[in-house]
Amino acid sequence: MAPACPAGRRAVLAAVALAGPRRARATSLTPVRFGLTPVFLESDLALLRALSSHMAAALGTPVELVKRRTYQEVVGLLLAGQLDAAWICGFPYVRHADKLSVLAVPVHRGHPLYQSYLIADPSLRARSLADLRGRSHAFSDPDSNSGCLTTRWLLAGRDLSPATFFGTNFFAYGHRNVIRAVSSGLAESGSVDGYVWETMAETEPGLTSTTDVVARSAWQGFPPICCLTASRQGAAARGIEAALLAMADSPAGTEILRALRLDGFMPESPGLYDGIRAMSQDLESRA
Amino acid sequence: MKHAAQRRLRSQLDPRHWPLLLTVPLTVAALVAGVATVTGQAVLSRMEADQGRHLAALGAAFLDGLATAAQPAAVRADVWEAFDALDRASGQYEALRPTLSVVVLPDGSVLASSNPRVLRTGAALPQSLSGQADRAIASGSPAIDERAGRAVVARVLLEGGVPVGRLVAEADIGALLAERDAVVRTLVLANMGIAALFAAAGALLVRRILLPTERLRQRLLEAAKGQRPEPLDAQAGSGPEHLALVNAWNGAVAAIAERDLMAARLAREEGRAQLGRLTAAMAHEVNNPLGGLMTAVDTLSEYGDRREIREEAVGLLRRGLDDIRKVVRAGLSSWKTGPGEAPLAAQDFEDLRLLIRHEVSRRGLTLDWRNDLPDGVRVDRTLARQIALNLLLNAAAASPPKGVLGFRAQGLSQGGAVIEVSDVGTGLPADAESLLADPDGLPPSGGGLGLWTAARLARSHGGRITREPTPLGTRLVAELPVPSHAKEAADAR
Repeated sequence: MAPACPAGRRAVLAAVALAGPRRARATSLTPVRFGLTPVFLESDLALLRALSSHMAAALGTPVELVKRRTYQEVVGLLLAGQLDAAWICGFPYVRHADKLSVLAVPVHRGHPLYQSYLIADPSLRARSLADLRGRSHAFSDPDSNSGCLTTRWLLAGRDLSPATFFGTNFFAYGHRNVIRAVSSGLAESGSVDGYVWETMAETEPGLTSTTDVVARSAWQGFPPICCLTASRQGAAARGIEAALLAMADSPAGTEILRALRLDGFMPESPGLYDGIRAMSQDLESRA
Repeated sequence: MKHAAQRRLRSQLDPRHWPLLLTVPLTVAALVAGVATVTGQAVLSRMEADQGRHLAALGAAFLDGLATAAQPAAVRADVWEAFDALDRASGQYEALRPTLSVVVLPDGSVLASSNPRVLRTGAALPQSLSGQADRAIASGSPAIDERAGRAVVARVLLEGGVPVGRLVAEADIGALLAERDAVVRTLVLANMGIAALFAAAGALLVRRILLPTERLRQRLLEAAKGQRPEPLDAQAGSGPEHLALVNAWNGAVAAIAERDLMAARLAREEGRAQLGRLTAAMAHEVNNPLGGLMTAVDTLSEYGDRREIREEAVGLLRRGLDDIRKVVRAGLSSWKTGPGEAPLAAQDFEDLRLLIRHEVSRRGLTLDWRNDLPDGVRVDRTLARQIALNLLLNAAAASPPKGVLGFRAQGLSQGGAVIEVSDVGTGLPADAESLLADPDGLPPSGGGLGLWTAARLARSHGGRITREPTPLGTRLVAELPVPSHAKEAADAR
């Protein structure tokens, strides 16, 4: 389990967050660019607008939320310095850990952890990954831990690959899309973010109720909010960090967190992404 | 019997034999139905064309919107993007009511469909859907399958002029067809209602128009049954034609009444004339022996004491009185007996010989009398005697002095009697002969009343009088068959 955010530090961070906007407002009105990936329900435009407004208020500068279809595009923008920070998956983070720093990690149901779900059409009555052999499979994104890496790693452990194990497979570029694909019958199975699936079970039960969770992975580090290490001490990065870590302290932030089904944000705890890193390295070694 | 019933049924079913009261409304209803069918067909054709254009426009709009999103997916063979585009479009074109839309790759396999559970990725497009898509692409308009209640629209996806796939969509046109069916039902019901209304109105109108004609028909039927013709109310007509008909009928009724009056008057006069002749004949017949009788009475009063003279006078008296009795009896037989009371016998005609004896002798005629009639002939003896007497008196009047008056009477093989009367006169005048052919016509104005009366009597008896060819004079034959009621009564016995 990830350690909880210490109360004293939270207070300090909140102070930073509160001080940040004033400082930012005084120095520059250049928008802070914040990248988003489908690690959460980024399709909820009202939520995005609330998040943008909350961060803008906290930072004292306009906040531009940047969305791209793939993780690769968002990570590419982040690595190129065109984003001040981005909410990315743990897998691209561990792949670029030498250049990226974690600003904050979401806390879901008390922990900065989540699982990858293997879901399938209920008519298959699948009970494990093995039952999905020969079936069509929807992945979320090639750079998604829960939506691709975990399943690939499980198959690699059996000397299999998606191409050889599944009948057909494709990328839906979004966890919600994977659930839609399986629910509609476009794919018979899918790899999906467990947090997204559980959240949709509350917000869109019509979609998740037509899917079965076949298997759950081990707990892994929740997709983090990262920035370039080179910019870690910059005002934008520190402001974003402070705003996120203090989000639970304000009614507006609490409302956003409730919509996101998150408890809050916390700093990275050591070893949080070791599991993902291990899977990534294992796959690379097999390649 | 069975054939007669069949003929009657066929006749009743033949529209040419239907009454106007039925044929006119039916014709009106048929015409209205025909007009309504033609106009309804035009409405439906126009509606079908409008629906087709509407559907084509909707289909084109649907394909336009979908092609924009689906074409890049087709280029990249991106299953999810294709599905996402189809899935999002499914709920956005409610007017078209798409039930299934498919992105098909150039190899004919399905890249994605809006309902993967029906049509999976990688599957081949069903033959029926593929064929309809081909037709839709070739014609540029939706391929409609009315039986299935669906329409298929399709478009080739081109990237730089190169086909990268096809967009095929199936739409539910059940609502359009239901709307058309509803219009058809409404048209049919409305047309039936209008036709029925017009038929009813036509029936009422025709009934009203034909009412005077119907009344006239009733009067004619009554007249045909022997009832007295009654005039119609001239105000009851509904037009100049009917007024003319009513006036014509009333004119005919008046003419008939006038003719009947005249006939009755003439019959009375003829009766009086015959009575006069008969009275004269009887007076003559009675008078003839009276002289001898008076002489016998004188002889008796003067020489009654002498036995031989008295016996001779009494004998003369007995013979004279016997002659008178016969004459009186013949008169009574001719004029007092009720009609149809007794069968005809030869003696009935023998009496006539006595009645015309005076006329025969007055004209110096020779009577060629042959009475072969058997007894018990079932013919009305009074009518037969009146017919024979009229013919004899007529022939006597037509005979020249010293001529021969012939009389023959005999029975018919089927029953009944035949009376033949001939003379050697100048022949039967043309107008008198026409009386034989049409005894119901007006009586002759220039004589021949006896023949007219005889012809009418024969006709009323079911018989007829004909003229038979003869080298000299006239020969008339009266055939008097046994009346049907008498025959039936005899058969019943």
